[in-house]
Amino acid sequence: MKLTVNDTEHEVDVDPAMPLLWVLRDELGITGPKYGCGIAQCGACTVHIDGQAVRSCQVAIGDLVGDVTTIEGLGTPDLRHAVQEAWIEGQVAQCGYCQSGQIMQAASLLETNPAPTDDDIDRAMSGNLCRCGTYPRIRAAIHSAAAKLQEG
Amino acid sequence: MLKHAAIAALLAAPALAEETEFVIPEGVTLEEGLAAWDRIYEVTSHPRCSNCHVGADNVPMWSGPSYGDTARPHGMNINAGDSRVGAEYVQCSTCHAYREFAPADTTPHAAPQVAADWRLAPVEAEWFGKASREICTQLRDPARNGGRGFEDIAVHLGHDVILHWAWNPGPGRQPAPYSLEEHTQDVLIWGAAGMPCEGDS
Repeated sequence: MKLTVNDTEHEVDVDPAMPLLWVLRDELGITGPKYGCGIAQCGACTVHIDGQAVRSCQVAIGDLVGDVTTIEGLGTPDLRHAVQEAWIEGQVAQCGYCQSGQIMQAASLLETNPAPTDDDIDRAMSGNLCRCGTYPRIRAAIHSAAAKLQEG
Repeated sequence: MLKHAAIAALLAAPALAEETEFVIPEGVTLEEGLAAWDRIYEVTSHPRCSNCHVGADNVPMWSGPSYGDTARPHGMNINAGDSRVGAEYVQCSTCHAYREFAPADTTPHAAPQVAADWRLAPVEAEWFGKASREICTQLRDPARNGGRGFEDIAVHLGHDVILHWAWNPGPGRQPAPYSLEEHTQDVLIWGAAGMPCEGDS
């Protein structure tokens, strides 16, 4: 079956029940999305499907409809997404395991809500766990990215 | 004495039109109608159903035997927003993904999934914590039940795959009482009796 990831079309021969995360990491070698829990409890595997944040461990590849964007496709080292830029400026990550999912969730939030309040951020980001407890820096970076995007 | 009535239920796509056969009972007494309502209330007030039939705060609940003694809001600070699908914050379908291929709900503690976009029920249909008469008068009020007669409610029960999940919620979750078929039959009995509610004068 075919799928498009980061604007590149791929063909894989796998069980339709295989989770998208497995396809990305094990079949395509796209390892930005992380395996944390496998049951939608942690958010580490968050990717975009047609722009919507989705837990890739929860989508069977046979049910996939839409183009996939992973952290690798959100921005590049030369042309970073505003959220990635803010992440570096704020030195948000500690161990870094969750940050791919955090950034993808945050980027999705800013698509629908360009100027989120603290409450908006807490509601949108509470499904993305950070074992290091960097939540205050995550919230600050999202405000910073929102401001950058508003400036254009 | 039974009257056979065929109700054509047109789905969104004409090609998918299908006919659902119902047997609408005749000669139902008021007492039988109220007894059917009592069984309907057991279903509508059951946590498996009412957890997603919440009010204007748009916060789904985690309550019932699967969650211990204390009713509490859905974990992860989830708020489905006025959209009732989470569009303002985290879409319900971010975790409750559309699922046909893989066997759903075989993994304990995983997000329930069906072949539909997960969502809260409309705010007009607030059932969580509501008394029998409150839910009864809502369900028979076309202004608050989606413009439905009782036959339409029965048709809706046959089509909505999210509510079907309530009777097949997977391991570790208590299903809604009775069965979908029994519940649908109770709606028809209640409707045939004139949709009576306790306390009608």
